[in-house]
Amino acid sequence: MTEADILHWIRDTSLGVAVRQSRWMFATGETLHFLGLSLLVGGILIVDLRLLGFLRRISMRSALSFLPFVIIGFVINLLTGILFFAADPMMYWPNPAFKLKMFLILLAGINALLFTLFKHKEALALGDDDQATTFMKVSAGLSLSFWLVVLLLGRLLPAFEGSTSFL
Amino acid sequence: MEFLAWLEQTEFSTWLRESDWAHPIVLCFHAVGMGLVVGISFMYCARVLGYAKSFPLAAFDQLFGLAWFGFAMNAASGIVLLMAEPRRMPATPAFVIKMVLIMFAGLSLWALSRALEGKRDELAGGVPAGAKTAAIASIVLWCGAIVAGRLIGYTIGPPPA
Repeated sequence: MTEADILHWIRDTSLGVAVRQSRWMFATGETLHFLGLSLLVGGILIVDLRLLGFLRRISMRSALSFLPFVIIGFVINLLTGILFFAADPMMYWPNPAFKLKMFLILLAGINALLFTLFKHKEALALGDDDQATTFMKVSAGLSLSFWLVVLLLGRLLPAFEGSTSFL
Repeated sequence: MEFLAWLEQTEFSTWLRESDWAHPIVLCFHAVGMGLVVGISFMYCARVLGYAKSFPLAAFDQLFGLAWFGFAMNAASGIVLLMAEPRRMPATPAFVIKMVLIMFAGLSLWALSRALEGKRDELAGGVPAGAKTAAIASIVLWCGAIVAGRLIGYTIGPPPA
């Protein structure tokens, strides 16, 4: 199976056909994608800003309690993203903004995974005024940067339609 | 009306409509601002409704600074988007509805802060019912504003004759 075969297969799945034929599925998906974005941004801001030392006098445990919103937002956007991709895989796949966006989501995921595996327990022990370690701060800074660029690339994606490289 | 027609044919408005990059870049600012305003409002409302009770309500003050920054960014980018289509935009019901919903969302957050005045330091203590109503209203209104905003692009009509 070549790359083109796979893209054709995705385009012809019942999901792809349904999204293209429906008047409202794509627009509803976009609206949900914005809501998911807001949940992800709101939750990640609380966690990352606390790690960076901006929200003082809050225990890390209570800041981390907003993490489920990040996960819910991400899942909403993953599902609606699959819906968009199935509707027009030939537009998304070669689009440089799409490729970079997916790559940065992967990096954000690895960053979050490393934090969870190695620092989560240590972070939970941080009390009201405790500073996070440099490693945690770097991780939080990367997380905010990755998600900001992911958001920007998503919004710029249609402008890159038909192009194969940046600028 | 004449003013709007004049605005529409100014060099700036024309450039906004015809440039490949102007529109997507302004929309980028608008999306980041939305994430800040709606994201922080959602977290605040969730907290008021009883989520993460160990998280002090007063800690949101620092986040409100960021939410206001997002709001200013969206007012500015919104005005630029309006200047690109000064005649078509106000004639689009979704746009008018979005503006009304944002106004009420703002009012609901103001009512929420009024309802909580002087009670914010009680941590797990009961949040007044009025505050919870305002929080639910604000979540619903922001969702409505996002729906209406998305509908603008799908329902905007041709320039009025």
